[in-house]
Parts: sequence; structure tokens; C-alpha cells
Amino acid sequence: MADIVLDKVSKRFPDGTDAVRDVDLEIADGEFVILVGPSGCGKSTTLNMIAGLEDISSGELRIGGERVNDKAPRDRDIAMVFQSYALYPNMTVRENMAFPLRLQKLDRETINSKVEEAAKVLELTALLDRRPANLSGGQRQRVAMGRAIVRQPKAFLMDEPLSNLDAKLRVQMRTVVSRLQKQLGTTTVYVTHDQTEAMTLGDRVVIMRGGQVQQVGPPQELYDHPRNLFVAGFIGSPSMNFLHAAVEEGALRTALGDVPIGDRLRRELEAADAPRELILGVRPEHFEDAELVDAETGRRGLEFEAPVEIVESMGSDKYVYLTVEGERASAAELEELAADAGAADLTGGGANLVTRLSAESSVTEGETRRVWFNLEKIHLFDPANGRNLTLHEGRAAGALAG
Amino acid sequence: MAVETTTRAKLRWGLLDVIVVVFALVPVLWIASLSFKTPATLTDGKFLPREWTLENYRTIFATDQFVRALVNSIGIALIATLIAVVLGAMAAYAIARLDFPGKKLLVGVSLLIAMFPQVSLVSPLFEIERQIGLFDTWPGLILPYITFALPLAIYTLSAFFKQIPWDLEKAAKMDGATQGQAFRRVIAPLAAPGLFTTAILVFIFCWNDFLFAITLTSTERARTVPVALSFFTGASQFEDPTGAICAAAVVITVPIILFVLFFQRRIVSGLTSGAVKG
Repeated sequence: MADIVLDKVSKRFPDGTDAVRDVDLEIADGEFVILVGPSGCGKSTTLNMIAGLEDISSGELRIGGERVNDKAPRDRDIAMVFQSYALYPNMTVRENMAFPLRLQKLDRETINSKVEEAAKVLELTALLDRRPANLSGGQRQRVAMGRAIVRQPKAFLMDEPLSNLDAKLRVQMRTVVSRLQKQLGTTTVYVTHDQTEAMTLGDRVVIMRGGQVQQVGPPQELYDHPRNLFVAGFIGSPSMNFLHAAVEEGALRTALGDVPIGDRLRRELEAADAPRELILGVRPEHFEDAELVDAETGRRGLEFEAPVEIVESMGSDKYVYLTVEGERASAAELEELAADAGAADLTGGGANLVTRLSAESSVTEGETRRVWFNLEKIHLFDPANGRNLTLHEGRAAGALAG
Repeated sequence: MAVETTTRAKLRWGLLDVIVVVFALVPVLWIASLSFKTPATLTDGKFLPREWTLENYRTIFATDQFVRALVNSIGIALIATLIAVVLGAMAAYAIARLDFPGKKLLVGVSLLIAMFPQVSLVSPLFEIERQIGLFDTWPGLILPYITFALPLAIYTLSAFFKQIPWDLEKAAKMDGATQGQAFRRVIAPLAAPGLFTTAILVFIFCWNDFLFAITLTSTERARTVPVALSFFTGASQFEDPTGAICAAAVVITVPIILFVLFFQRRIVSGLTSGAVKG
């Protein structure tokens, strides 16, 4: 077991594209770190560089304090689980799992006992003599994990290991991975494009975009205090609502009404020479049906009226889609996120709001509803560079603070 | 209506199949039939021999000439096949997996060799081999066979290697294998069908060659069966050796058939299934 340190690690491909730019990351011993981002953000390249399957163009990679830039994968003592599982089809499950041990030239008994042990942990004992072709997707996935854990490496690298499973199995395997990692306490780097996996699995999450790290932190911190527009839009499902906001006469003019600006934010806006046009971000769960908000809570927020387009009842709460008039927020980051979600051309005129209201709400489709939202939880972003203007000492404090 | 169409289609295909099979097999069966005929009935024009005899087979195996040529043929073809497949596998692996400088040149040159008319190379090869003492030896035939079989081997094998998921190799490397170990223990077993297919093709090419064999040999030391066949004479100067030639022709097809049957079993399709998803 060991820590992994990336020191200004970059990857430039021969054709001149910069896949990864100056990534600084310190992964502590035993930590579970998730690399997440849309496709093409450089997360897999980063993982392959840690694995040794890709050369590092510049910067330094240290595993357990030792520089390993020029070491072959086999000398780094790390195991990897591939998206495709990459099981050896000509070998049985037992042989697959024994393969790394046989390469280490261990004696037969040690190999057998280690394979049996790993098989027991992953409940593969009954399948040991089958070939990969006769296994289900979930079983293959577990064999791939077994092959990784069997030799107790310094670190695990996982490249979207669950993305080929169906939704139900994925949720199940997610807990298996999580439990296994805690049980073994091995440093793990896990790549995924699925933000739910990122939120639920990791000790810390690294959000990447265009080969650069956007923000590193525990999942909750990324969720509550996104450093920029990209992180805000990427983390959370359904994602944060973004609206155009104009600074006018000490208030923010938005499609949800005029939002008052606190002193602190005003100072900040002046100091940062912030633009007159901003982007307002509100998470779906910070909306509530105005009827269900008591007076005291109500004072901390603002109410507005909007036609209800669609109501999705999830049982525990209701997802309500509202249409609001006014300009749509636009920024490069938002377009990129929309493109990644495959929804670039889905949004019509005006702006759509996704809100998560209490299940008790009597909201129905087609009516015009009064909805409240929490001003303490809103974020403001600079459309030019995506920076979150409502962060104070790394914490967002909403528009009213101070 | 639909049933009628399928029966008619079946009939049409069946007829076509029969024509093709007859067209391909009649000469072979004719040769086989001739080999069982006595000299007297040889030219009677009957498809089935009126008098069956094994005399022709006895004749050819009685002469040292034929047996020796058979040994030469088997030895030369097997050695050439082995070397060509091993070299071809390594070259094809490099072509399929690596991006090395001069890759296009290598592929181009090997294609060039395959296209080069062998006849135009025979005379220079004859001179060269006489000068360096390879003339009328096994290596004297094995070397040109390998040269002309390699392009074929490289092409078929690189197609097979390209089908093998690259992740398997990466996985082997992560599991602690060297490049060589990854190739020998993971990639090569999966490419086995390709290796056997290639081996069959190369073996047939070596086995059937006449041009090089007749030019680059002069005695029984290295003369292969197709050449030995052309040197067949009857028991006396005035006797026609047709029967013996036919018997020999039948005999030399047997190793090919055995070789193909033996390796065909190994060509199991879908060997890579289960390696990666889906």
C-alpha cells in the first residue's frame, strides 16, 4: 500500500493534443479517489499514466514516495480493473486470478490459497473452474476484481468498471466495490463518467474538464460549494438550474424576480470588477411549494409564480418542471455540459426549471403555481470564466450573506 | 408461395453445388481411378477400373526415388512452415499493435514480394545458391519458401491479431507480464486459430511448389515429390509410367488432407468470446 502523488503531470499526444495538463494530485495511503468528468476530459489518460500504460510527457509521478515515471507497469505493483474486464478467455476463472501470481513465480500452494481466499471474498468459489465465456456480466466483473485483489498490490486502478453492467447490478456492485475497498484499505483510483458513482463511492472526487482538474474535494463539498460553473453543473442529478441574472439597482434581476444582494456580495462584486451580467444557480431541492413553507422559513427565500409543465412523482418527492420567461443563461461550460448529456438541442425558448418539491405538494400539471426558493443556497457565477462568486473562504454563503 | 420459392431456391442451390463439386473433384477422382488400373486397361476410357490393382502403388514405394522425395517434401515443407509462421507471427503482431517507424514500408515490401513473379527470380536464385553452396540442399529450398510464404503469413496473422482486444494485453502487463510473456501466454493462445490457418496455407504452398524445386535441386538429396514425379520412368524405357504417376499423385495428396484435418480441429471459432463485454 502506498500513496500516489501526481506532480504537474501532463500528457501530450504525438499529434499535438494536450490530453492532460498540469495535474497536481496527492492521493493518501488507503484513500479512495474518483476521477470524474465528461468523455474526453483526460480522466482515463490520467489513470493510464498512473498505470504505466501511457508515457508521462512531463511532470512526475510518485508511488510510495518513489518516482515511477520510467518504470514498466509490472514494476509499479499496481492492479487495474478494465471497463471491458479483459479476462483471458483461454483460461478458467481460477487461472485468470492466478495469472498475476504465477508471473510472480509463487509456489503452487500459495497461489491456490490466495486465489481461494479472493474467490471467497467475491463469492466466486463456485465459478472457479468456469471459463469467462460462461459467466454473466456481473460475474465477469467480479472475476476482474478478483484478479486485481489477489496479489495485494500497492494500489487499485479502476477504469469505469461498472459501466457495462445494467442499472440494477451497477448499484449492487457499487456497494461491493465500496465494501471491498474499505475492507482491504488499499489506495484506489477510480475513473467514471457517472456522477452518482463519483458521489457515492469516493473519499474525494476529482472533477476534470479538458485535461485540467476543476476541483478536488469530498463529494459533499463539491456539491455544496462548487468552485465554478462546470463543477456546479456536473455534480448533482437532476443538475443545478442556471438562469440569467442582471445586476441592476442593488438587486439581481432574474426570471424568478428581483433577488436582493447582501452587503458582502455587493462588496465582492465591486472588488472583483464583476460583470453586470451573471448566472444564477439554484439546485432543484432548494425550491419548495410556497404553500408548504412556513412564515419563518419563507423570509429566507423568495417566491415566484410559474406555469407547471410536467410533474414526476418519485414517491419520496416530486420533480416539477416549470417554464419561466426570460433569457437563458449561456456560457461555454454550460454548452459543454449540455453536449455531454446529449441535450444540446433539446431546450426550447425561455428557461426550464427543474424543482424538487415535497411529496405532499398538491401541484398538478398545467396550473400556475407559487414556488419558493431558498436564497441562502443560491450560487452566482461569472459567465466569462465560470468562477463561483458566492464562495467565501471556500464556502458558498448565498446572495444574502453578510 | 413462400414454400415453393424456398424449394426452388434449394433446388437451384443444390444444382449449383453439385456442378461445383463435380467440376472440382472429377480430375482428382480420375487420377485416383487411373492409379488403380492395370497397364492394359489404362487407356480404356472407363471411369471405374475394370480390373483393380495395387501394382502401381507397389511400384512407387519399391523405388527409393519416390520414398526419398516424400521424406524431402515432408521435411522441407514442415520446417519452412514452422519458421514462416513463427517469424510471421512476430512481424504480424508488431504490425497489428505497434506504431513503429517504417511500418508502412515493411508492409509494402512484403506485399511487393508476394506480387513478384517467381519465374523471374528462379535464374538468379539458381546462380546464387550454386555460388554459396545451398544448391540441392534442404535449406536451399526452405529459404525461398519462407521468403514467399512470409507475406501471406503476415497478412493473415495481422488480421487475426487485430481482432484480439488490446485490453487483454494491457491487463497482462498490469498483471506483471513482460511484453514477451503477454504475447506468449495471452495473445498467442488466442491467435491459435489464425496460426493454424496460416500454417495450413503455408504448408500447402510449400508442398505444391514445383518451380523452385525443379530449379534448385538436381539429385535425390533435396528433390521434392512434385519434381520426382516428373522424373518418373516406367519399368523399361518403352513403358509408359502413367499408372505410377497417378499413384504417386494420390499419395502426395494424402499428407495435405491429413494436415488440414489435423489442424482444422484446432480452429475453434469464438475462442475469444468472454474476454470482453458482450
